[in-house]
Amino acid sequence: MLSYLLLYCLHRFNGERSLAAVYHLLTGKKSAQTLQDSKWFQLERVFGIYKTLSLGELEQAAMQLLQNQWIVSVDERSYVLTEAGKEALHEWLVSARFFTHLNGLLYDTVDRLFWYRLSLTVQTLSNLVHRRQFIPIHRHEATLTWVKTYLLSKNLHELAETLHKELHTICSALSEEEATILTLKLTSFTRIGWTNEQIAAFLQKDRLYVQLTFQNVLHYMMKRAERESKQFPILHDMIKNLVKPVSLTLSAQKTYDWLMKGKTVKEIARIRHLKPSTIEDHIVEIAANVRDFSITPFVAEDTKRKIIEAATRLQTRQLKKIRDAVGDEISYFEIRLVLAKAGESSVS
Amino acid sequence: MYLEQRLYETFGYRTFRVGQKEIIEDVVAANDVLAMLPTGGGKSICYQLPGYVLPGSVLIVSPLVSLMEDQVQQLRLRGEKRVIALNSFLPDEQKKRALMNLQHFRFIYASPEMLQSPLWQKALKNVAISLFVVDEAHCISQWGHDFRPDFRKLGAIRRELGNPPCLALTATATEEVRNDIIETLQLTNVRQHLYSVDRPNIAIQVDCVDSVEEKVARVLDYAKTLQGPGIIYVSSRQWAEMLAHKLAAEGIEGVAYYHGGMDSEQRLLVQHQFLCDQLQLVCCTNAFGMGVNKENVRYVLHFHLPSQLEAYVQEIGRAGRDGKNSIAVLLYTHGDEDMVQSLIEAELPTDEQVRLFMAYGNELRSLVEINDVQWRLLHYMVEKERTNAHTAEEMIANLQVAIEARRQWKRNKLGQMRSFLFRSHCRREQIVAYFQQRLEKKPINCCDRCTLSLDSYQRKQTDEPAWAFRGWEEELRQMF
Ligand SMILES: [Zn+2]
Repeated sequence: MLSYLLLYCLHRFNGERSLAAVYHLLTGKKSAQTLQDSKWFQLERVFGIYKTLSLGELEQAAMQLLQNQWIVSVDERSYVLTEAGKEALHEWLVSARFFTHLNGLLYDTVDRLFWYRLSLTVQTLSNLVHRRQFIPIHRHEATLTWVKTYLLSKNLHELAETLHKELHTICSALSEEEATILTLKLTSFTRIGWTNEQIAAFLQKDRLYVQLTFQNVLHYMMKRAERESKQFPILHDMIKNLVKPVSLTLSAQKTYDWLMKGKTVKEIARIRHLKPSTIEDHIVEIAANVRDFSITPFVAEDTKRKIIEAATRLQTRQLKKIRDAVGDEISYFEIRLVLAKAGESSVS
Repeated sequence: MYLEQRLYETFGYRTFRVGQKEIIEDVVAANDVLAMLPTGGGKSICYQLPGYVLPGSVLIVSPLVSLMEDQVQQLRLRGEKRVIALNSFLPDEQKKRALMNLQHFRFIYASPEMLQSPLWQKALKNVAISLFVVDEAHCISQWGHDFRPDFRKLGAIRRELGNPPCLALTATATEEVRNDIIETLQLTNVRQHLYSVDRPNIAIQVDCVDSVEEKVARVLDYAKTLQGPGIIYVSSRQWAEMLAHKLAAEGIEGVAYYHGGMDSEQRLLVQHQFLCDQLQLVCCTNAFGMGVNKENVRYVLHFHLPSQLEAYVQEIGRAGRDGKNSIAVLLYTHGDEDMVQSLIEAELPTDEQVRLFMAYGNELRSLVEINDVQWRLLHYMVEKERTNAHTAEEMIANLQVAIEARRQWKRNKLGQMRSFLFRSHCRREQIVAYFQQRLEKKPINCCDRCTLSLDSYQRKQTDEPAWAFRGWEEELRQMF
C-alpha cells in the first residue's frame, strides 16, 4: 500500500525530486520547499496524510519498487517509473477510491480538529440521551470546551435526531465500506471507537488503506458541511469557525505582513536583519500559498510568458533547465515565482 | 465522624481504606506528611478529601500529563468544576482566564515544568495554597525507579510559594528513596505513614522456561485459560506488536497492543476500550499503566524481566484493585538479563554525548541521537557537577564517574531482581523485605515458593454473545 503511494508521488515528481522530498510531503513538513512542491507537482492531496511515517519505511518501500522493476534510479535517490510501473500505478489508481476527495494540504490539521469535535459530540450525545456517565474519548481541552458550550445551547434530543440524520445522509452517499469505517471509528454509549488497525483486521484490509479511506471520508464531509449549511446544520457548525490559516512558515508570515505594509525586498531584509535572498524565498512561498497574492510587482508580464513557455515546451520544472532555455537576464527568483503561481492552474 | 461524613457526601464511600483516615487527619492538621500506600490503595482520596475541608486550594504535582488529565476527568465526572490542569496544551483563552482566576480553583494540577514558568509561579503566589501535594514522589529521588530531575526543584518551588504544608505520596519507595524525598522537599517534623507494599489478593508466580519460543507458548496458554482482563508487559515496542498479532492469530479475542510510539488518538482508544472491557488483553510497554484506573484487572504477565523490583511491584500492582483475587506471572528464560543490560545502557549518556554536550551545549540534540532519559540525566548531572568542576576536562571526568556510578547502581538493582527470581524463599516476603518491611500474614494463594494453585484463576465459562456488526445503518441508529 505504501509502495503504491510512493509510486504515485514519484510519478508526479518525475525524477526531479528525491526520496526525502516524498518523505517531507507525506509527513506534511511545513517548509517553503515542501509546500511549493505539493503545488508544483500537483500533490496537494497527499500533503501530510501520513504523519507517522518513518524514513526507514519509505526507503524499504522504494527498495521493493526497485525490485519489482517499477522504478529506475535517475539520480542519487531520485527515480522515474518504468512502463511496468506506470501500468501498475494506473491499475491501482482505478481502484483507489480514497483519492476522490482527499485534500491533505487544504485540510491539514483542520481535519483532525473537525474529527475531534464530531466524535466527541457523538459520544457525548449518545451517552447523555441514554443517561450514561462516560469519560471523554479525547483530552483536547479546546474541543472539550467547544462541545460543552455547543451542547449547552441546544435541546439534546433534537440535536441527537438531527445529527443522526446528517450522518445518515453522508453515509448513504458513501460506499458500504466507507460508511462502515466511519461508523466503527465513532464512539457511542455501548462501544468505544475502533483503532485503524482493528478496523483493518475486521475488513481484512491494510491499515494504511483504512486510514486513507477514513481521511477521504472526513474531507468529503467537511467539503459538504462547509457548503451546504441547510442540509448539514450541525456539521456546518462544527466546521465553520475552525481556523483555516494559510499554511505559511512563521518567518514568511512576517515578511508577508511587511509586504502588505508596502515595504520592498531590500527594506524588509534590512528591518529583519536577513539576507535579501531569504526574503525572496519567503515571497516564493507566499506566491505558492496565498491565492490572491500577485507576482506582477516582481516579474514583468513578458518575462512571465517566456518562463511559462519554456516550462511547457521542456515539460520540466527543474530550474536549471528553464534558466538555460530563457537566458541569464531572467533570475532564478523570477522563475521560481512564476512556477509557484503556475502550480495552481496549469501543469499536467 | 466528621471526616467519614465528608467522605460519604463527596465520594460516596461509607468507610476509609487502610491508612486513609490517619493520613488525612495529619494533612488537615497542617503537618508535613510522607505516605506510602500500596498501588490501588486510594491515594487520591488523601488529598482530594482535604480539598473540601481546608480553606485554600490544593496544588498537586504529578509526573505525567496523562495522569493529571485522568485525575481531572475523574473529578469532573464526580461533579467538581473547580479543577484545572496546568499544562502546555491549554488553549490560550483558557490559559488567560486561568491565570487571572487561579485562586478560584479547589484543585490545581501541575507538572514540574509548568511550575518553573515565571508566569504560573507569579499567578500561584496569589493563591492561598493549603496543601502542596507531590504525587509519585519517588520520582524525586535519583535512587527511585522513575527518576525525573525536574522533581528535584520542587523543594525550592515550595519555598517560593510560602512553604505550604506538604503531602508526599508514593506506592514504592525504599528507605533510601524516602529519605531522599524528605530531604529534597525539606519536610519538617514529618509524619510518616508507611503501609505495607504487600497486596495480599495478588498471587505471585515465576515461570523459568528454556527458550523464548516456550515463553510465547506459555503466554498463549495463559491467555486462553486465565480469567481476564489481563495485561502483558514486554520491554520493547516491537515485542508488544508482535505478541498481540501472534495472540490474535491464535484466536484470542479482544487483544491489542499499546506503546509510546503510537499516535495519541489510537493510544487513547486502546486505553478506553480496555477500561470499558471491550478489550480483554493488552500487550504493552511500561508506557501503559500509570493512570489507567481499572479495578478488575485479573492478571499481569511479565514477558520480559523488569529492571528492578520497584518497577515490578508497581506493575503487578495494576492487578486486583477491586480487592478480588488476581495473579501475577513473570516469565523468565536464560539470557533475559542481556536485554535489561542493553536497556540500562540505552538510558545512560554515552561518552560521545558527554563530550559533545560540553562543547556545544543544547545544540547536542541536533548533532547526535539522544533519547529523553539520557538527555534529562545528562542535564541533571551537569547541573550537579557545576560547582565541583573548574575546567571542562574536570567536568567531563566527573560526569564519567557519575555515569559509571549509576551504571553500577543499576546493575546492582538488576542483581536484586535476579535474586528475587532464584532464591527459594517466599516471594512475598522477599518483596516486603526489599522495602524494609515485615510480612504480617500470608494469604492462602501466596506464591510459587509457598502454596499456589492456579485453579482459582481459571476462566469461567460465559455464554455472553459476541458483539456483531449489523451494518452502519443499524450502528448509527443505536448510537442516538
Ligand atoms: Zn509466599
